[in-house]
Amino acid sequence: MRSDREITMIQLGSVVSSSIIGVGILPLPLFAVRAGGAGAPLVAMLGSMIGFAGIWLLVALGKRFPRETFVQYSQSIVGKWPAAVGSLLIIVYFTVLTAFGAREFGEVVITSVLKNTPVEVTVIVMLLLTAVSCRQDLTAFAYIQYFYLPVILVPAWLIVILSLKNADFINLLPLWGNEPQGIWRGGLSIANLFQTSFVISCIIPAMKHPNKALIPCVWGTVLAGAMYVAIVAAAVGVFGAEEIRLLLWPTLELAKTTSLPANVLERMDAAFLSIWVTAVFTTLHCSYTLTVVSMADLFKLKDYRALPIFLLPLVFMLAMQPQSIVQMYTTIHFIGQLGLLLTIGYPAVLLLIALARGKRSDGVDRKSLEKNGLPDLPASD
Amino acid sequence: MTGNRWRRTACRIFPLLISFPLLGGCWDRLELEERAVILGVAVDDAESGPAEEGDVTHMPDFEPAPEQPMYRLTVQIALPGRIPLGPGGGGGGGGGTSKPSETVWIVGVTGHTIDDAMMNLQQKLSAPLFLGHLRVIVVSEKIARRGFSNLNDYLRRNPEVRRMAWMMISAGKAEEVIRTHPPLERVPTMYVISTLDNAARTGKFPQTFAGMFWSNSSKKGQEGVLPYVRLKEEQTLEIAGLAMFRSDRMVASSSPLQIAAYMGIKHINPGGYRGIVQIGGDSLTIYSTHRSSKIRVRIRDGQPAFTVDIGIEANVEEKSNESVSLSNETILRELEKIGGQSTQELYQGLVEKTQQYGSDIFGFGEYVRAKKPGFWNAQVKTKEKWQRMYKEASIDVNLKIHIRRIGMKAE
Repeated sequence: MRSDREITMIQLGSVVSSSIIGVGILPLPLFAVRAGGAGAPLVAMLGSMIGFAGIWLLVALGKRFPRETFVQYSQSIVGKWPAAVGSLLIIVYFTVLTAFGAREFGEVVITSVLKNTPVEVTVIVMLLLTAVSCRQDLTAFAYIQYFYLPVILVPAWLIVILSLKNADFINLLPLWGNEPQGIWRGGLSIANLFQTSFVISCIIPAMKHPNKALIPCVWGTVLAGAMYVAIVAAAVGVFGAEEIRLLLWPTLELAKTTSLPANVLERMDAAFLSIWVTAVFTTLHCSYTLTVVSMADLFKLKDYRALPIFLLPLVFMLAMQPQSIVQMYTTIHFIGQLGLLLTIGYPAVLLLIALARGKRSDGVDRKSLEKNGLPDLPASD
Repeated sequence: MTGNRWRRTACRIFPLLISFPLLGGCWDRLELEERAVILGVAVDDAESGPAEEGDVTHMPDFEPAPEQPMYRLTVQIALPGRIPLGPGGGGGGGGGTSKPSETVWIVGVTGHTIDDAMMNLQQKLSAPLFLGHLRVIVVSEKIARRGFSNLNDYLRRNPEVRRMAWMMISAGKAEEVIRTHPPLERVPTMYVISTLDNAARTGKFPQTFAGMFWSNSSKKGQEGVLPYVRLKEEQTLEIAGLAMFRSDRMVASSSPLQIAAYMGIKHINPGGYRGIVQIGGDSLTIYSTHRSSKIRVRIRDGQPAFTVDIGIEANVEEKSNESVSLSNETILRELEKIGGQSTQELYQGLVEKTQQYGSDIFGFGEYVRAKKPGFWNAQVKTKEKWQRMYKEASIDVNLKIHIRRIGMKAE
């Protein structure tokens, strides 16, 4: 069921990029401006760096255990039961993240476009699409992500470039903002948006050459991080920091004020929303795949194809928990900050212990490899 | 085996069946001709009072209406099938007509708030109101001077409204601007739009869309400006100056020529205004083709001091008589000098006027915030404080005119 270990480096890079660029791109300038005012692009850059720290940890761990997923190698690092608790937390966390991602998507859609459609419908359509796609093996997963990346990146850059016409450079000065003390906190809240890239912990062992994972991960993060910084800079340049504080989804407003030259399209928000749906899908696809693959590993299931549909009602119910859009955003922010402990703190601890105990399974230490055996080989189903 | 096959068929048909209701978007199906497409809105204050209003959004006994003067909204609704498509194709699709009164329907309504008025209007109309094509928002000066954050809040919150709509302040009643039906365009709002669009294209007026006004009003070191229009004889709409704001209240208006000074300081091109220069018993009209400006800020004795260097490229357009000849270069230098002095006075006059009202429409405060963040954080920090400080700031305007061309006549 797994895959034939043929995911390429380019595919891994695309997974990183498209997992990061997701539903959060709409309120992104608002988060950055709340923390850093005119220095918002700097906040976005800092967030990208913190986000990359988490990715780097997973790559380093993946290099030590090239044929094991996170759930598997955490067991050999800290022992069976402590690792099981950690893995369970990760699974729960990404289930919640999937649910809230779908809910945030639903809220945007019913506020801005389909005002009479029940939010349940938009959420369940997105979740069904994600669940059905998650039934595929990891090779197909990587291919889907690879396929959609240009669809996300090209139009988003187009909006950034076209909006420069309306931008005022003075809005971006001073570069560090007028109240620089908020930048660190802001960086952490931007780093929230990078957490879905945790999915690479399942992808690296399914690669052709897991030891070459770092370069594509760097490129993937740079691509997504540059996109984030550019969008924040464009929004601040066009609207100014103070106006962004009043806009719930500044990126959408940016698309609304940007027009294609020569009166081809007077406003790009409709076009942008359709691209953004793709971005949301790829991100949810990543987080949900991570959930089901980790779950299959934890409970030693050979075939996880039934899991996505089986979990769907639970995810849907979680998605419906926030009672208002304000509550939803406070919850997402709070959970995201806690999640950083799981997605950056926990791997950091694992790596330190692995270093201290000399645990690895990349052939350097034969003994531990023999003890744990190779991770489950592709089973023919 | 048959059971298996049944299951498989069911698995294939089921997604198909549920995808129709879920993906069709039928909840929001609304045909174009079933909506009341609002093209323009005029906001006045209501004189008639609450008498003509039914209680649509509030129950008078439990939740009394907001304690503020009432608004009168006049909206222009496009008649479906009557808006002519394409240039000149009057006879086409659905009997397009060229009489403005037959392309749109103008309805007036009152309300305690903007939304209340909209709902009162909705109560009277069959089709759901649609603001996605709102292009013109006219606000009467009386409302603007009272402060219209209510209107701005309503428009910002509504996802259909575009930030590229033109917002303007009318000297008289806003309703009259919306009710004009000039013969030049078949749709009245289109005429208002083209007046301002063309003014922006020919350098007569800066592009000040509603969204830009909102952004500039939000900035701590800048205030918003809007076109100040006045309805004149024969249904013409005059751009009478700039409406200057302080926070969300209009505080003053400028003269039409001062628009040129605003655009010069803000470095907005192309140039479009003419100036008359008296020289040697002759008066010459010169017109600017290009403006450039550079704003520098220093902190002097704990006060921000600005230097604005402006260069204007100009051509000679007319002479009132033949007492001066333009054939030698010295006379052009003389012209530049005299013209420069009077233009500088014009610029200074506008700057002083904005300082007098504490309305920094140029965004000098933004320069302080951006370039001198240390001073800003220590001394200013808030919009209110900058509004006070702006009154005392020293602003020097240095202006130079360069006359390049004299037209087709040799002297």
